[in-house]
Amino acid sequence: MIELMNQLNFAFPYIIRAMALLSVVALGALFSERSGVVNIALEGIMIMGAFAGAWTMIIVMNNFAIPRQWNAFIGLSVGAVTGLIFSLFHAFAAIHMKSNQIISATALNFFAPAFAIFTARAVTGDRALNVRLDYSIRNIPILSDIPILGPWFFTNAYLSTFIAVFIFIVAYIVLYKTPFGLRLRSCGENPHAADSLGVNIYKIRYAGVMISGALAGLGGVMFVLSFSTRFDGAVAGFGFLSLAVLISGQWKPIRLILIAFLFALFRVVSEIPDELIGIRNLNLPQEIWRMLPFIATLVILAITSKGSAAPRAVGEPFDAGKR
Amino acid sequence: MKNLWKNTLTLIAKRSNSIQVLSSLLAIVFGLLFGLIVMLIVNPADAFPGFFTILTGPFQAGMRSFGNMFYRATPIIFTGLSVAFAFRTGLFNIGATGQFTIGAFIAVYIGVHWGFLGPFHWAVAIFFALVGGGLWGALPGLLKAFRNVHEVVSSIMLNYVAMYLMILLVRRTVFFGDHARSLAIQDSAELPKWFLGSIFPGSSINIGIFIAILFVAVIHIVLNKTTFGYELQSVGFNKDAAKYAGMNEKRNIVLSMLIAGAIAGAGGATFFLVGGRYLHVNAVLMPQGFTGIAVALLGLSAPIGVLLAGIFYGFLELGGLFLQGFDFTSEIIDIIIAVIIYFSALSLFLQKFVASYIKKVTETDIEISEGADIK
Amino acid sequence: MDYVIEMIDITKEFPGIKANDCVNFKLKKQEIHALLGENGAGKSTLMSVLFGLYQADEGHIRVNGNDVHIRNPNDANDLNIGMVHQHFKLVHNFTVTENIILGSEDTKYGLLTYKEAREKIKELSERYKLRVNPDAKIEDISVGQQQRVEILKMLYRQAEILIFDEPTASLTPQEIEELMKILKGLTKEGKSIVLITHKLNEIREVADRCTILRKGKSISTVEVKGTTNEELAEMMVGRKVVFELEKTKAKPKETVLQVSNLTIKEKEGNKEVVRNVNFKARRGEILCIAGIEGNGQTELIYGLVGMLPIKEGSILLNDKELSTLSIRKRSLSGVSHIPEDRQRHGLVLDFTLENNLILQNYFTSKYHHRGFLKFDTIRDNAEKMIDRFDIRSSRGPVSLARSMSGGNQQKLILGREIDRNNDLLIAVQPTRGLDVGAIEFIHQQLIDQRDQGKAVLLVSLELDEVMNLSDRILVMYEGELVGELDPSKIDEKELGLYMAGSKRGEVS
Repeated sequence: MIELMNQLNFAFPYIIRAMALLSVVALGALFSERSGVVNIALEGIMIMGAFAGAWTMIIVMNNFAIPRQWNAFIGLSVGAVTGLIFSLFHAFAAIHMKSNQIISATALNFFAPAFAIFTARAVTGDRALNVRLDYSIRNIPILSDIPILGPWFFTNAYLSTFIAVFIFIVAYIVLYKTPFGLRLRSCGENPHAADSLGVNIYKIRYAGVMISGALAGLGGVMFVLSFSTRFDGAVAGFGFLSLAVLISGQWKPIRLILIAFLFALFRVVSEIPDELIGIRNLNLPQEIWRMLPFIATLVILAITSKGSAAPRAVGEPFDAGKR
Repeated sequence: MKNLWKNTLTLIAKRSNSIQVLSSLLAIVFGLLFGLIVMLIVNPADAFPGFFTILTGPFQAGMRSFGNMFYRATPIIFTGLSVAFAFRTGLFNIGATGQFTIGAFIAVYIGVHWGFLGPFHWAVAIFFALVGGGLWGALPGLLKAFRNVHEVVSSIMLNYVAMYLMILLVRRTVFFGDHARSLAIQDSAELPKWFLGSIFPGSSINIGIFIAILFVAVIHIVLNKTTFGYELQSVGFNKDAAKYAGMNEKRNIVLSMLIAGAIAGAGGATFFLVGGRYLHVNAVLMPQGFTGIAVALLGLSAPIGVLLAGIFYGFLELGGLFLQGFDFTSEIIDIIIAVIIYFSALSLFLQKFVASYIKKVTETDIEISEGADIK
Repeated sequence: MDYVIEMIDITKEFPGIKANDCVNFKLKKQEIHALLGENGAGKSTLMSVLFGLYQADEGHIRVNGNDVHIRNPNDANDLNIGMVHQHFKLVHNFTVTENIILGSEDTKYGLLTYKEAREKIKELSERYKLRVNPDAKIEDISVGQQQRVEILKMLYRQAEILIFDEPTASLTPQEIEELMKILKGLTKEGKSIVLITHKLNEIREVADRCTILRKGKSISTVEVKGTTNEELAEMMVGRKVVFELEKTKAKPKETVLQVSNLTIKEKEGNKEVVRNVNFKARRGEILCIAGIEGNGQTELIYGLVGMLPIKEGSILLNDKELSTLSIRKRSLSGVSHIPEDRQRHGLVLDFTLENNLILQNYFTSKYHHRGFLKFDTIRDNAEKMIDRFDIRSSRGPVSLARSMSGGNQQKLILGREIDRNNDLLIAVQPTRGLDVGAIEFIHQQLIDQRDQGKAVLLVSLELDEVMNLSDRILVMYEGELVGELDPSKIDEKELGLYMAGSKRGEVS
C-alpha cells in the first residue's frame, strides 16, 4: 500500500504535466473546429511556438537576471503570440481563400520543423536550442504539505500546469457562457443560421483559428519546459496526439480533459514502466502504450461516426452566396 | 513582342489543363522565391551562391549526381503517385506515410530473413511490401465506406500506429541493438543496379526508378484506359452521378485506398532495399508520405505529372545536399517544399488569377476544372 | 397612408432573367397579405429585396412612410422586419432559447443572461400561443415546432412586419391548420404579415388581400373575399402564347410500368413523402405527373429508379419486380432516366462529352475489351450522337461537359438515355431553365419516343408543358395522386385547382 502510494506520488506529476499539455492544445483546436475550421496543423504550430519561446528564454536568460519562473512566463507568452501569428496562414487559406484545409495545414506542419532547424542552425550554429535549466517548481509552501494532493499537484509542478487550469476555466466560460462562445459554436454547426442573424462568420472563424494557434504555440513551450530542455525542431507527436484527444473527447471540453488524462497516463506509463510495479508486471512493450491513444481514437470514431459529434459544418468553407 | 506574348497566351488558353500547369509552376516560383528570401535574411553573403547551388544541384558533379537525383526521386514518386491516385478518386490519402512505413518494415524483414529466395529475394520483398501497404491503406477505406469515418482523420491516427508498430517489430525481429537500428539486409535483397551503374558511375541509383516508372505507367493506364479507372474517376468527380449510373461507391472507396496503400508500400520497399539503409527506432514519422502530397499536387494528380514533379523533388533535394558547402542546412529544401504545398492549397485562387490575366490579354474565356471533390 | 411597407417599381435583374420587373407591393398594417405566383414568378426575389438579401436595381422602399435603404438583414432587423425562410435556419443541437438569442444576446458582466432570455421567450410563447419549450433541442422537436421557433426569433427581435416564405411546404395538414391560427393571432396583436405561397386554399383561409406576380411582373392586387379561386388561378397562370406541338393522338398499348401501393419515406426523417401511389404507364403514351414542387414527385422517381429505398409497394416493369433490385439492375432491366438535377446526377461535369455519353453503359462489351475502354468506339458513338441529337460544343467529343450550355448538356443526357432504347423513359423536368429552341427540340424527341412505342413518364412543374405534351395527367399533391386528367378535356385553371389541393378526383 505504501509502495503503491509512493509510486503514485512519483508518477502523478508526470501525468499531470502531460495532461496539461494535451488539454491546452486540444482545447485550442476545439475552438478552431467548433468554429468550423479543421486544424490538423497543431504539430507545426506547436513547433513554431516552442522554437520562438525557447529561443526567447535563452536570450533573456543570457542577458537579464530575472527569476526563473518569470522567464518561463515570458517564454510561454512569446510562444502563444508566435503560434497565433503562424496560424493566421492557415486561417487565411481556409477562410478567405476557401482552400482545402488539410492541404494548407499540411504545409504548416511541413514548414515548421524545417524552419526551426534551419534558423536555429543559422543563428546558433547548432541544429537544436538548449534551454538547459530546470523550470519545475520543487515545492510550494503549505500546498505541498497537503496529504495526497500536495505530492500529486504541488510538488515538481510547473507554472504551465497552473496556467493550463486557468485556461481551461476561462475557455469553458467563454465557450458556454458568453455571446462569443454561442456564436462560435453556431458557426461550426450551421453558419447559414448564424449569418441570417447578422453574425460575421469570417470574424468568428478567424478568432477560432487564432485561439487555436495561440494555445498550440503555448503548448509548444510547455513541451520544451516540461518534457525536453533540448528543442530539436520536434514536439514528439504531441500535436497529433492532441488532435486525437479532441476527437476522442468528442469536441466537448469536459470529456476532452478526461481523455487527456487517460492518454497522458498511457504516455507516462510508456516512459517509466519500470518505476510502476503493476505496469512492469504487465510486460507490455513501450510502443503498445504509445499506440493506445491512436487506436482508442480509431475505435471511438468507428463506434460514433455514424452519429458523429463533430461540428456539422467543420471543414466547409462558408459561401454567403449559397444562403 | 506584345503580339508574341498574346499569341503564346492564346495558345495556352486553348490547351485544356494549361492553367493548372501554370499555377503549379507559379507555386514553384513562389516557393523558390520564399527560400531565397529566407536565405537572404539569415545569411545575405551566401544567399545567392547558395540559391544558385540549389537550382543547379545535379549539374555540379556530372552523371553521378543525375543518378543520385533519380535515386532520391524514387520513393517520392511512389508516395506522390499514391496520393495522386487517391485524389483522382476523390480521397485524400494523408496516410501514405503509414503505408510507406509498413511496406518498409516488411521489405526489411524479408530482406534480412528470407535469404533462401535467392535471385527472387528483392522482388518478393517488394511484392509483400505492396500487399502490406495495400492492406494498411484499405483500413481507412473500410472505415470510410462502412463507418463513415473521414479518411484523413483515420489515416493520421494510423500513421502513428504504423510508426510505433514498425519500431516494435524492428526491435523484436530485425534489431541491431548496438546502433539502435535494423540489421543489414542480405545482398540478394538489394535492388540491382543493372546497367545503371555504368551509366551513372558512383551513384546510388538502382532499378527502383524503373519500378517507379512502371507503376506510373500502370496507374496511368488504369486511370485513363480502363473501365475500372473510368468508374473510380466518376466516383471521384461526382459521387451522385456515379450513384445515378449504378456504380458501387463503397467498393470503389475501399479499392481506391487499397491501391493507393499498395503503391506507397512498394515505395517503402524500394527506399529501404538498399545497402547501408536501415530502419531506425526513432519515434519520427517518415517524411516521404508528406512530400508525396506536395508532389501529387504539383503533378496535378496525373501519373506523368507526378513522375516529373518527383524528379524535380530529387533535383531540389540534391541541390540541398550540395548546400552544405555554404552556411545553410538542407532543411531549406523542406521550407521551399512547404511553401509550394501552401500555394498549391491556394491553387484554385492562382488558377483564377492566371485565367483572368490571360483573359485580359487575349480576350479568350477559359474554364477552370475544379477537379475531384475532395473534402 | 396606413401602409407599413410600400415597395414601388422594384426591378431586380439576374444574369439572363428579370426576376422582378417594376413590381409594386403595398402592405397595410395588421393585414395578412398573400403573395401569389408560380415558381419563378419573382415572389422570393421581391421579399429578399425587402429583407436585404438582395439590392434592387431600381425602385424604392418605404417603411411607415419613410424612404429606407435596406442593405442587409441587419438593416431589415432594425426596421422591425423579420423573415421565416422556406428552409429553416436553425442550429440543430442548440436549445430553442439559444437559437432565438443567437446574434442579439443580452449580457451581464460579459456573460449571457440565459435565464432572463428564457423567461422572455416563455412569455412570448404563451402570449402568441406558440407552445414551444424553450429548453428543448431543435433536433428533438417537430418541423412545425421548429417553424414556431423561427416565428419566436422574429418576435424576440420585436419584428412588426413578418415575412413567411412558403411556410406550409413541409408541414402536415394539422400543423398547417395550427399555423393559420397563429398567423391570425399575430395580426390581432398588431403585426403585419406577408405570406408567400402558391396554395389557393391557404390564401382563402387567412389572407385579407393578395398580390399576384407572374413572370416577374405584378399583375394585380385584389381583396380575397371578392375573388374566386378560379379567378386567382387564372391570374397566377395567365394566358400566354404556347407552342403548338405537332402531335397526333396517342395510341396507348400494353402496360410497361405498373406501380402499386408505393410508399416512400423522406431521406432523413420519418415523414412519408410518397403515400400509397398507384398508376400504370403504357406504351405509346406520355404520362405526366404534374404538381407543385415538393409534393413528392422527386422522391417518387428516386424510388422508381432505386436512388431512394421504398417503404412499401411494388414496381413492375414488363412484369418484372424492380423494387428489390439495385440501380444498375433496374437500369439494365429497361429504365432510362433523365434526372431532375442534370448537373448533379446526370453528368460528370469534369468528364468529356464522349465519356459522359457512356456513363450508363461503359461496362458493356460494346465499350470495352477485357477491361480496356474502346476509345474508337467511344469516339464513333460520340460523333454519331452529336449528329443525331445536334449536341453543340466548342471541341466536339472532347469538350468538357462543364463548358457546354445547359441546353446541350440536356441534349447529351437525353440522347444517352434515348439511345439505350429502353421501354420506359423517365424524364424529370427535362426543360427546366432551357431556352426556347432547346425546349422545342426536347419536346419533339419525347413525342418521337412515344410514337416509337415507348412509355414516357414525364414529371413537370410547367403548366404549359404538362398541357401540351402529355396524353394523360396524374396530379400529385402532398405525396398522393389526387387526380387523373385528360389534357384535352380540362383547362389550365382546373389543373391548377388540383395542383393547389383544392380539388380531388379519382385515380384509376
